Amino acid sequence: MDGPASVARGNGMSKESDGFLSRVSERAKSTRLGNITAARSVADAVRTSLGPRGMDKMVQTETGDVLVTNDGATILEKMNVQHPAAKTLVQLSKAQDIEAGDGTTSVVVICGALLEASLELLEIGIHPTIISECFQIGLDKSLGVLESMSTPVDLENREELVRAASTSLNSKVVAQHASLLAPLSVDAVLSIAGDERQGADLRNIRVVKKLAGTVDETELIPGLLLNQTAESGASGPTRIEKAKIALIQFQLSPPKTDMENSVVVQDYAAMDRILKEERTYILQLVKKIKATGANVLLIQKSILRDAVTDLSLHFLAKVKIMAVTDIERDEIEFISKTLDCVPIASPEALSADKLGKAELVEEVSFGSEKVVKVTGISTTPDKPKTVSVLLRGSSQMVLDEAERSIHDAMCVVRCLVKKRAMIPGGAAPEMEVSVQLAKLAKQLPGHQGFCVGKYAKALEVIPYTLAENAGLNPIEIVTELRKLHAEGLQTYGINVKKGTVTDIGEEQVVMPLLVFTSALSLATEAVRMILKIDDIVMTR
Amino acid sequence: MASQGLSVDGERQHGQDVRTANVTACVAISNIVKSSLGPVGLDKMLVDQVGDVTVTNDGATILKLLEVEHPAAKLLVELAEQQDEEVGDGTTSVVILAAELLRRANELVRSRIHPTTVIAGYRLAMREACKYIKSTLATPIDKLGREALVNAAKTSLSSKILGSAESDLFANIAVDAVMATKSSKKEDGEMYPLSSIHMLKAQGKSASESQIMQGYVLNAPRASQSMPTSVSPAKIALLGFDLRRAKMKMGVTVTLNNPEEINKIQEKEIDLTALRIQTVLNAGANVIFTTKGIDDSALKYFSGGNAIACRRVTMKDMRRIARATGATLQLNMADLNGDESFDPSMLGHAEEVYEDKIRDDTVMMIKGPKVQPINTVLLRGPNEMMCDEMQRSLIDATSVVKRMLDSNMVVAGGGAIEAAVSTHLENFATMLGSREQLAIAEFAEALLVIPKTLAVNAAKDATDLVAKLRAVHSLAQSDPTKISLSKCGLDLAEGAVRNNFNAGVIEPAVGKIKVIQFATEAALTVLRIDDLIKLNKKENTGEALE
Repeated sequence: MDGPASVARGNGMSKESDGFLSRVSERAKSTRLGNITAARSVADAVRTSLGPRGMDKMVQTETGDVLVTNDGATILEKMNVQHPAAKTLVQLSKAQDIEAGDGTTSVVVICGALLEASLELLEIGIHPTIISECFQIGLDKSLGVLESMSTPVDLENREELVRAASTSLNSKVVAQHASLLAPLSVDAVLSIAGDERQGADLRNIRVVKKLAGTVDETELIPGLLLNQTAESGASGPTRIEKAKIALIQFQLSPPKTDMENSVVVQDYAAMDRILKEERTYILQLVKKIKATGANVLLIQKSILRDAVTDLSLHFLAKVKIMAVTDIERDEIEFISKTLDCVPIASPEALSADKLGKAELVEEVSFGSEKVVKVTGISTTPDKPKTVSVLLRGSSQMVLDEAERSIHDAMCVVRCLVKKRAMIPGGAAPEMEVSVQLAKLAKQLPGHQGFCVGKYAKALEVIPYTLAENAGLNPIEIVTELRKLHAEGLQTYGINVKKGTVTDIGEEQVVMPLLVFTSALSLATEAVRMILKIDDIVMTR
Repeated sequence: MASQGLSVDGERQHGQDVRTANVTACVAISNIVKSSLGPVGLDKMLVDQVGDVTVTNDGATILKLLEVEHPAAKLLVELAEQQDEEVGDGTTSVVILAAELLRRANELVRSRIHPTTVIAGYRLAMREACKYIKSTLATPIDKLGREALVNAAKTSLSSKILGSAESDLFANIAVDAVMATKSSKKEDGEMYPLSSIHMLKAQGKSASESQIMQGYVLNAPRASQSMPTSVSPAKIALLGFDLRRAKMKMGVTVTLNNPEEINKIQEKEIDLTALRIQTVLNAGANVIFTTKGIDDSALKYFSGGNAIACRRVTMKDMRRIARATGATLQLNMADLNGDESFDPSMLGHAEEVYEDKIRDDTVMMIKGPKVQPINTVLLRGPNEMMCDEMQRSLIDATSVVKRMLDSNMVVAGGGAIEAAVSTHLENFATMLGSREQLAIAEFAEALLVIPKTLAVNAAKDATDLVAKLRAVHSLAQSDPTKISLSKCGLDLAEGAVRNNFNAGVIEPAVGKIKVIQFATEAALTVLRIDDLIKLNKKENTGEALE
């Protein structure tokens, strides 16, 4: 702790005559100041990337890779901040990412504004514990206001969901592709949500990135997509209709024992036998696989042995089995879930009932890149549903950013599945909460009223920043918005496209209630925590 | 709000500073390639760390070899490479246009226009430009005559090393080469897989002696002089395995107690290979290509069987030969009985395979393949650098021809498109009452950088020429009777304005649209960045903590 803290310590020393007690409080004050300043600087760093017209950050990582992103959680994660209090904000953003998936920038910006408010309160001499408690009151009331202004969502109404996903995508680098990606994310999430629509596990969506073409060519595949390619060395088939798929975890190569071994040849005739033995061994394996009726083989990667050899590929090609190798261990679960097949660990365990069935397995190529598509999978109704998304982009940077954006959009839809309520976007809820809280604050006694008032004021940071990032006059916009909300026009917000304040409900910019409630709760809790810290002790 | 005190392990730059730095870096890149634009553009000589020299006029190649460090400039280079991959031509234009857009955007931001407004304006302008090209400027050609294709190839070649005297020859070579790859076996129409164009570079003789040859030239000599120099009709076997003495796998040790056994083992090694060769020959093959080696002691079996064998043929050649002759590459000879055999249906057929000489190299000629005709472009030139550059130019030209065949839409070249779009956007901007107007006007201005650079590179009076060009286009767009003037571009030899469409300077419309799209996309990506965080290298921080 250099900077403010060490300076403050110096001050404490000079006031030694004030006695022990005051020195401690002086130190606590400076610690708090230091923490708040550090945390606020983090919030300031991401502020400009908020909203549909937000700017991007370019981060050059330790390894020299360049990353361009608009995603708050990613920026903070890569930024490598050092101050311990600043780190809490980074984690805050990550928590929001896990909880809601979207609003990772908002949560940090709100937190920054709340910290600024608490700093003002501290300066007037209000005790941090009181501030902390009042903020909790503010939060509770806000959540009530939000609940009351939300509208229920019908999951059958696809268009409504698409609108929510578009709102999230519009602030990303890939905004111009929102019209394609938004329906895609909705369909993806809904198709895995199951009939009861109780929740959606995003792990059941597999995103495969391919560096070819443009983001426009991204597609949703109701089936399985493998990043691996079909082994074509021996001109084996790359397209199989009415496929029966075996997922194997053993290798089609000459066996090795675990220990160091060597085969000793003492006779020239033995050479023939060895070669022949190898052929027969592989042949037996291939015949066994063929006997189960399988015509597509997915082979798990092995570090000890080659998964396939030229010889086994040759045999597989002869019996017209398509082989896909290098399946990663962690993909096995998803694949077996999708194909409804059982991974086969040894040749002895091969049997026809362990195979997955699909209408078509084919290798598709785009330029120099290839993927294997499995479509028309026959399913049993009770098993979890999965889908794959083929994400394409022209450069690695665009691709990575598109993946993050599509993840956010899917999270938005997931939030709606979890909690079926929506609120308008465009900073309308923030302003509404702020206005309602300000009214309430006037009725609260003493310190409470004052602190809640500040809390209400701090929430205006979102409309303010949104307007600022859109190149509008923030003071003018925020004032007008506040006036409209005071008149009871709940749904009015900032229309970034038109550059004015309009009825956001009509513009159909909506977001899930959960995103905002989670952001607000997390931000408030983080602030409360930072306020309660009164000393930092560095240990080695 | 100043954000001091953000302690990051590294450097942080934000706001206007980072924007200016990024723009400067991009403009620097553009300045490097600027002088190579156009038919009279000059070449660059690049020397890499090893000392290898590349002389080129191709924007993509220059950028690839530059090893750009600045992150923003890297973005620009990546997008230019994308253009190279998607269109194959116009990389230099992308870079120049993107840098100009950035430079102007930065000026706008400095004069207190918010970057988001500039971004919105640019995006609007880009959409309008593409729409205008598609609806008004592009000329659809239902049935592309050969002449149009040759002209387009010529336009692409004109800016390259092959441009001057030999453009006729090479334009025809490019068109022939592309047409030869035509395959319509897929349901979705005709395909022109450019990867199957075979080019062979041979130093010596003048570039004008380059030619397109019937048949496939394989740059590999016969494995032995005792083999026949020609076989007809040829039955070709493509092998993917070794024809050297059979070796035992790792982990197999030969232990002998009796010295006489050594001979037997050695014999066995040769016998195993001999048996394989015999199996292939028995299947009827008289030409054998393998990607691996052939043992010298095994050559006699081929000679005895009156067959030609070549060793160490590249996989690329193998695939092309396989496609043309209908052969199947065999990685292994094992059959389902556990024995080894060779199926005659795996053989490819050609009328004749014979040995020929190009320069001092002996090559194998494969004539009259049975499945698909195949051509070889033979490039001649005084030195290696020249040959390399010729190959790059020709690849660009072939991709232009392919684009033409794919899209059937052409536009006039020589700065005509840029001037027309610029004029249109200027009118479009004045119709718009919003704040984006300024950005669109700047976009229009920025497009003129292409004709300007063309004129400057041709040592003509750029100001004068561009002014004339704009006057013509303004007339074309205001007076419906003079619509044909919209195809006017620069005649860089004469230093005048002329109808480039009639003069045969044409380009595929897709290429031009992509140039504008990619350049705008690149500019916007860079413009959207307002923060640059450079993290220190890991190793350094480790030491710093100590």
